[in-house]
Amino acid sequence: MKNDASVMNKLFEKLDDLKTIFLYSEKLIPIIQKLIDFMRNTIPLLENINQSITETTNKIPSATNQIDSVTSATEMATTEILDTVDKILMEINSAKLNIDNLVSSLNGYLNDEAKEKLNLINLSLDNITQHANNVTLSLQVQDITSQQLAAVNYLIQSVQKRLGSLFQDLEDTNISQMSKYTDKNIFNENARYQDTSQYQKEIDHLVSTNNSSTSQDEIDKLFLKK
Amino acid sequence: MNLKFLVVDDSVTMRRIVINSLSSLNFKSYVEATDGNDALLKLEEHPDINFVITDWNMPEMTGLELVKAIRASERFNHLAILMVTTRGLKEDIIEALKSGVNNYILKPFTPAVLKEKIDQILNSKNLES
Repeated sequence: MKNDASVMNKLFEKLDDLKTIFLYSEKLIPIIQKLIDFMRNTIPLLENINQSITETTNKIPSATNQIDSVTSATEMATTEILDTVDKILMEINSAKLNIDNLVSSLNGYLNDEAKEKLNLINLSLDNITQHANNVTLSLQVQDITSQQLAAVNYLIQSVQKRLGSLFQDLEDTNISQMSKYTDKNIFNENARYQDTSQYQKEIDHLVSTNNSSTSQDEIDKLFLKK
Repeated sequence: MNLKFLVVDDSVTMRRIVINSLSSLNFKSYVEATDGNDALLKLEEHPDINFVITDWNMPEMTGLELVKAIRASERFNHLAILMVTTRGLKEDIIEALKSGVNNYILKPFTPAVLKEKIDQILNSKNLES
């Protein structure tokens, strides 16, 4: 009889445990249901994100092509400007030559006022020449910006390459390949269009002392000023 | 002495600007190359070239590789080399100097700086422009 009582006690304990489990389950079921609903809603969202990334990744080759087109267009425009500046300079040289010939042919007939005016015209032509040369020098910006654009292209292509391999690992998605990749050697990612006079002085110092016994400390001090 | 320049740059704009600057300094003799490989071919074709002005960042063969190739060559290692580049980091300049460039100009440059560096190289090599 004693044994039967202890068995019954154990049974009731187990039933209590079961009851507790049912009570917890009752509370858990709505949470699990919410979790299932959330996951059901998330799947299309994830699919959208997936598709969006795939589409964006596929658009990258045309984006880099557009950047290349910008570089080509600016190079072409710069060449046209250089051609025009050359023509202006040729015209100025021709005008100066004509003035010189005029002065020679009118030697003795020109009064002081006329001579002064011709000098002023010559001075203006020299100034125009200087300004035209400055335009030419400013066009170095084209080379510098094309290096900056090449650096951006290289970065975009690296992201595309990475995303492409990631998608191929995850699923059998075809990612558009680049027709050509930017060569890392063609650009300096630190290229800047700026006044280089101060930097040039530091470089000059470095060049002049390079073959002498300049210590690394001295070189470092020189560049710390930047 | 007659100076004949080899202007090496992959940018057509920069080649023209360097050549225009040389012309304004009365240096009229020049040959153009688009990268290091092309430059070596041009040196073979034009043995009278005595001054190289080169960019650093170029496809196929960079300016730095060109400098090393020139300095390693018995035929060309006497050439004057001026590097004109956007690379202004200390490490880059030291590497270029160690590789054998005679002088170094940072882009954007002016004809006055170009003349100054050409004169410095010519004086150090006891040449006259």
